[in-house]
Amino acid sequence: MTQIALSNLGKKFGSFTALAQMNLTIGDGEFVALLGPSGCGKSTTMNMIAGMVDPTEGDIRFDDRSILDVPMSRRGVGFVFQNYAIFTHMSVRENLAYGLRAQGVSASERNRRVNAMADLLQLSPMLDRRAAGLSVNILQRLAIGRSAVVEPAIFLLDEPLSNVDAAFRSVMRSELKALQRQFSQTLVYVTHDQLEAMTMADRIAVMDHGKLLQVGTPLEIYNNPQDVFVARFIGSPGMNILEGTIASSDEGKLVDLASTGRSAPLALSDRAASQGLPEKVLFGFRPEQVNPDPNGTMALPVNFVERIGARTILHLGGDGIEAKAVLDNQIAMPSIGDILRFSIDPKMVRLFDPVSGIAIGGDI
Amino acid sequence: MASIRLENICKHYGDVVALDDVSIEVEDNAFFCLFGPPLSGKSTILKIILGLETPDSGSVFIDDRPMNGVSPAQRNVAMVFQNLALFPHMTALQNVRFPLVERKIAEDVIAARVDAVTKKLHMQHILHKPPSQLSGGERQRVAIARALVRDPVAYLMDDPISALDARLREETRVELRRIQREMNQTVIYVTHDQEEAMSVSDQMAIFEHGRVRQVGAPHDLYDAPASTYVAEMLGAPAINLMAAGGTALNAGRPVPQQAVQLGVRPEHLRVLKDGGNTQVSAIEPMGATTILTLKAGAETMKAALHGQPEFQVGESVSLSVDPAQIHFFDKNGDTLVAV
Repeated sequence: MTQIALSNLGKKFGSFTALAQMNLTIGDGEFVALLGPSGCGKSTTMNMIAGMVDPTEGDIRFDDRSILDVPMSRRGVGFVFQNYAIFTHMSVRENLAYGLRAQGVSASERNRRVNAMADLLQLSPMLDRRAAGLSVNILQRLAIGRSAVVEPAIFLLDEPLSNVDAAFRSVMRSELKALQRQFSQTLVYVTHDQLEAMTMADRIAVMDHGKLLQVGTPLEIYNNPQDVFVARFIGSPGMNILEGTIASSDEGKLVDLASTGRSAPLALSDRAASQGLPEKVLFGFRPEQVNPDPNGTMALPVNFVERIGARTILHLGGDGIEAKAVLDNQIAMPSIGDILRFSIDPKMVRLFDPVSGIAIGGDI
Repeated sequence: MASIRLENICKHYGDVVALDDVSIEVEDNAFFCLFGPPLSGKSTILKIILGLETPDSGSVFIDDRPMNGVSPAQRNVAMVFQNLALFPHMTALQNVRFPLVERKIAEDVIAARVDAVTKKLHMQHILHKPPSQLSGGERQRVAIARALVRDPVAYLMDDPISALDARLREETRVELRRIQREMNQTVIYVTHDQEEAMSVSDQMAIFEHGRVRQVGAPHDLYDAPASTYVAEMLGAPAINLMAAGGTALNAGRPVPQQAVQLGVRPEHLRVLKDGGNTQVSAIEPMGATTILTLKAGAETMKAALHGQPEFQVGESVSLSVDPAQIHFFDKNGDTLVAV
């Protein structure tokens, strides 16, 4: 098992900076998700760890040893891509055994490990079928099994679930997590889907435009996003961000949200209080923190209602203001055109600087 | 726009039954979703409505007119494909204009219609670009605009947004629904994403192996599934199904005699921290909700709780449920009406 340390890692393609100043240590046996929109640098980072792309700056160390001059084949890295590369003329069994055969593992040991992996990934019933006729879902599962069976110290997965269908994706999320627990590999997982990152990763590294924005456990990132991009990217839907002005009241400072109303008095952390507040702020709150409240100090018109199983997403706003509320279906639901009056628990409010987008005072 | 009715459609490919006695009624201006696993017959239905495939038996009616022998062009149904099929050598504008130019429609009519549609889709700033310079979401809009300018009687969409990023999918599905409502369109939509299907549809038909298992409004199907199949197709995490005889869960009401399984949705389980006979075996904190995997003997259940409650793996708990939220199923997996 291996620790991966990226220090000041950077990659330029001509004048285009794909990645800059990336510092991240991935612990031995840790599951880290590199999360961000397309073009954020996450795949470039992974390709450099694998050895397919050379960095233009910085260093990559496995267990304190720089591996920049170690060729890809000797890095001991297993790799699964979005587009599975399966030998379609071989059976499932032959595909699973391929890497072990290449390593010269004995036939009996090979058999044992292939059968165990097939069991784990529910491939046992089709071990002797040719890969050519299998569905996309099964092929992706096979691709994961084929890489995992050689038990690489480091396992890199680049959007392995983006081509499989939605129902199967949720099954594979639990299987991948179970697989990683069993082999306790160091696992780096590239995805644009915050749900995959939240449900599987020990820690998430959120990236945008070639920069690492925040690293933390799923809940740290969800509860205390360090900037507006992270706040909006994490959560389904993401955090609501409204423009506001700091105002004073008898009970303390609050945020004036113009036509939307005013917030309750803020619960400022010591740090935010001592650091002082700018006049203009971005007022952040999660859609599920919207409390319908006839005495609430904020109100927005409902312009769309999306009911999805157990929950309903209300799309609120108009005139350039946009927010969402997630409500339980048990309560009486407003209709399009209604005004939703609501309150937000002051402890759940997050403030950001309107110029830099950075969180004010860390945890508030 | 138009209503579309399918009556007793059957279709075989060799020995394979693609559609088995499918009857569906899509009302005028409805957003109707065909939902089911891969190869359950959804895409074959679209081809039959378009006129690209002929059913072995049964009929398609558009506005009560039988379509037997009516060519695809005469049916005037527009299709938006998963892979969009934009012309790479044309700008977005040329792509949108294409179906009208093909039909030799007068230039002033083309200009007016393209202008109206592209304004509605907020895409005038991208019209001069070729598809290669557009984002996934922008390309999607071009494909939809190209279908909209034709003024067809209905739109068929085959998983049109599945290739987009997760976040963009959430936004685009709402956008599609808004456009459909504002422009009063009849849409038949294929997807295999249950959240997307529930979000966009007025009505859904749930497919299994070429048959329709249930048709209804999404929340009716979710709240009152007619079978374990439909119950499991909707909702994430999926509904908990338990053996009626041997479950650790107290139903709190008489279990019908014919009941073989009980079903409880994860959001309806209450978890009490009281050292009961159930163990927490995994915790997935997702921010807004927390998913607990719970084990009682050989039984596994999932509970979806609000917020970020504190639990430990291995902790002993007990479960309860509002008796009104329990579904009962018979030996065929069909829902039993409660006693």
